[in-house]
Amino acid sequence: MDSIFLYRNPATAHTESGHLQGLKIAIQPNISVAGWPTEAGSNALVNFKALEDATVVQRLRQAGAYVCGSTRMSEFGFGLQGSSAGDALRQRAADAELVIDLMGESRIAASRAAVCGFKPTYGLVSRFGLVGLIPSMECCGVLAVSPKNIRDILKAMAGPDELDFSLPDEKVPDFSPQTIDPRNTTIGIITEALSALPAGQEKVFRASMDELKKAGFALREMSLPDFSLFSLVHRIVGSVEASSSAGRYDSVRYGQRAAGAKNWNDMYLLSRGAAFGPLLKSYLFQGSFFQFERYKAFQDACRIRAHLLADMQRLTSQADFLAFPAVDCAPSDAPASLSDTYTQFATTVFANVTGQPALYLPPAPGLARTGFQLAGPRLSDARLLALGEHLLNMRQGGK
Amino acid sequence: MEFEAVIGLEIHVELNCTTKMFCDCPNRPGDEPNVNTCPTCLWYPGAMPRFSQDVLEKASLLCLGLGAELQPKSAFDQKVYYYPDLPKGFQLSQAHLPLSRGGGIDITDENGKPKRMRIHHIHMEEDVAKLVHEMEGRLPISLVDFNRAGSPLVEIVTEPDFRAPHEAMEFLKALRTQVRTVGSSECSMENGTMRVDANISVRPRGTSQMNTKVEVKNMNSIRHVGDAIAYEFSRQSAAVQAGETVILHTRLWDPEKKATLPMRAKFEGPCVPDPAVPVIQLSSGWIEKMRSRLPEMPAVKAERFMARHGLTGEEALFLSSDAEVAGYFEALIGQGIAPRTAMHWLATQLIPAVKDRGQELGSSPVTPARFAVLLKMLSQNEINANAAREVLLHLFDSDEAPEAIVSARGFRQVSDHATLDSLIDKVLSAEPAAIADVRSGQGKAMGFLIGQVMQASGGKANPKIIRELLAKKLDALS
Repeated sequence: MDSIFLYRNPATAHTESGHLQGLKIAIQPNISVAGWPTEAGSNALVNFKALEDATVVQRLRQAGAYVCGSTRMSEFGFGLQGSSAGDALRQRAADAELVIDLMGESRIAASRAAVCGFKPTYGLVSRFGLVGLIPSMECCGVLAVSPKNIRDILKAMAGPDELDFSLPDEKVPDFSPQTIDPRNTTIGIITEALSALPAGQEKVFRASMDELKKAGFALREMSLPDFSLFSLVHRIVGSVEASSSAGRYDSVRYGQRAAGAKNWNDMYLLSRGAAFGPLLKSYLFQGSFFQFERYKAFQDACRIRAHLLADMQRLTSQADFLAFPAVDCAPSDAPASLSDTYTQFATTVFANVTGQPALYLPPAPGLARTGFQLAGPRLSDARLLALGEHLLNMRQGGK
Repeated sequence: MEFEAVIGLEIHVELNCTTKMFCDCPNRPGDEPNVNTCPTCLWYPGAMPRFSQDVLEKASLLCLGLGAELQPKSAFDQKVYYYPDLPKGFQLSQAHLPLSRGGGIDITDENGKPKRMRIHHIHMEEDVAKLVHEMEGRLPISLVDFNRAGSPLVEIVTEPDFRAPHEAMEFLKALRTQVRTVGSSECSMENGTMRVDANISVRPRGTSQMNTKVEVKNMNSIRHVGDAIAYEFSRQSAAVQAGETVILHTRLWDPEKKATLPMRAKFEGPCVPDPAVPVIQLSSGWIEKMRSRLPEMPAVKAERFMARHGLTGEEALFLSSDAEVAGYFEALIGQGIAPRTAMHWLATQLIPAVKDRGQELGSSPVTPARFAVLLKMLSQNEINANAAREVLLHLFDSDEAPEAIVSARGFRQVSDHATLDSLIDKVLSAEPAAIADVRSGQGKAMGFLIGQVMQASGGKANPKIIRELLAKKLDALS
């Protein structure tokens, strides 16, 4: 089990009552719990213990959930290298997991564990207490066996937080149960989202869409010609934000100070250099390159991001939901390079660029299909989860 | 070749808000080290900044007070640099979208001509921690005090409009007055609530080229700013004359050596927007509300003093450039004192006396009410100017009413003709030479005689009446 958990809650149960009572939730050590090691998978924070609970933790506990421990994670949650996300669910050590989604980690981890994975609308869930890396892209994702569990968890976590002023002043979706009528519901498929898939995968995805068709949903082909730019934009904007905001992870205060430095500037450089792993380091290098040498490219990427967002808004206004493949395109078992990592998340990164919600649904057991993602417009989280519930109910209803 | 200096100023002003900029910690940098801290201003991982409304209001008032245009949209960026006073590696600052643009201050240049010094923009940023360097035995150690970390600052960036140290110093004095009037900061260079960096370059006089600039820091008085600019101007002029190239770097002013010394290569990278702090959007209604809270600014006040009280431009400027002085002046006017009398006695007697005692005008025991009584007695000829100066000194040391002091100590003016006649007779009989001088048309001799009578009266005689009586007597004698 220790291959899954970095830290286990010494208290064995939780006593507050609420609608999450009895639910056992694992988190990652980039989500603060007062007194818990909060190293975010990095040597730079190896000695950091959070002083306060993250808002998400505080709200889950208030709703009766038991936060059972924190699972092993990649460095600052970037990619899934070294991560055990999904394993606690698979081994029934938890009923749900919180996984910060920077580029699709919650959805790809869910696909590996064959469970549901959800990335909420950016700005719906407080980031207070989350040890972040890419502030404009990341948000707290949820893994669980059923969309209903996710809906219950979102109901507890979502909404304004006086500790996170960055949350926009928007109407929080109503996470009560709601019905989906397939006859009045259109699901769009973006042609260009399929063109980047590995050979043979498009066919598999199309086959999995049969489930939607059989359930009575209208499918609609749509076009977003610049779809391939989502990865590029994420890579430039994300790396620049990471290199800038990771300044706070200096390894001097909570990590290990490198010995043998001539002066403090040296000590800072050596300590940071020794603390970060190779993948993160190459990401930060790339980010500082764009920030200091190619700032114009960063500005262009920000502009393209705005265009992509507008394109996506146009598409989500023409259909109720969108369906996307969710394929772990990792070229090897342990993608180590930056390019491999971006290849791995090629099908999920769009939702981090736009901030829209996205749900991964695993394939029905016993069928040779893949799972897929469903996405909707900003703040459609509750309807999106209702759609997931509807589809899973259909499955349980026997075809 | 004759050179001229091209100077721009960057002025950090620490706002006097009760809390820090992004958390509720007290904004009291001078307290015991590291007591005013929390996870947010210690920049702990996971902490989120919460921007203070009070900071926004104080900063906005400051901008409006300097005639700047508040921007409907401004935002914070991460300004990256690594130094132990900033352990999170970036400072939240408004690099791309500042709080205000434009504005300026009118000063008088060295030739007494009015000159407008333009402000490019004003932005907000958080202060960094303070480093304290000590020795632990023989080992040098550096301690970090986070009380100042996250304190609210605004940075006022001027256009490179300055050509001489005098202009920079005049600008800073006027800036200090205006910010104090607005009430957003004490603006003291001595205690660090106003910090000035000067960007200086040189060019052949009469050209309009902009050459590589050098940044000079570490001046802790307005005087030092002037000295540092003067030094740096001659240093760069000499260097250019010697064929050297000026390179972009930062220098520190050393007040002991009276020189600027190189510190480091200046490094500034572009900043990345920080999505943790929401974009600040100001409605025109909100901006107007702020404008209505703005007190009367010195320039407006000076205009009013000239128009309503018939003061000269110089007098009006003197009174209006210090809010306390202006308030005191208006209080005297409110007590029925003639503007010119009030102006004259404030400038030549009261303010110097208050300064001599190391007091502040606003908290001096000589309140406007007491001072007004004294000036009234003067204008009603109950005492003369000599006596008024004497009584003023007593007002500092005792809380007795001015009338009581005058009566008790016999300061009341002697206007009684019989008493004065006899004094005049005594003086005239003792000074025949002076009488002869008066007759031969020497004006000075008349003043001498008046002085003698005054002396004989113990300084209490009414000089106007002495002059009248004396003139009559001299006429009668001739």
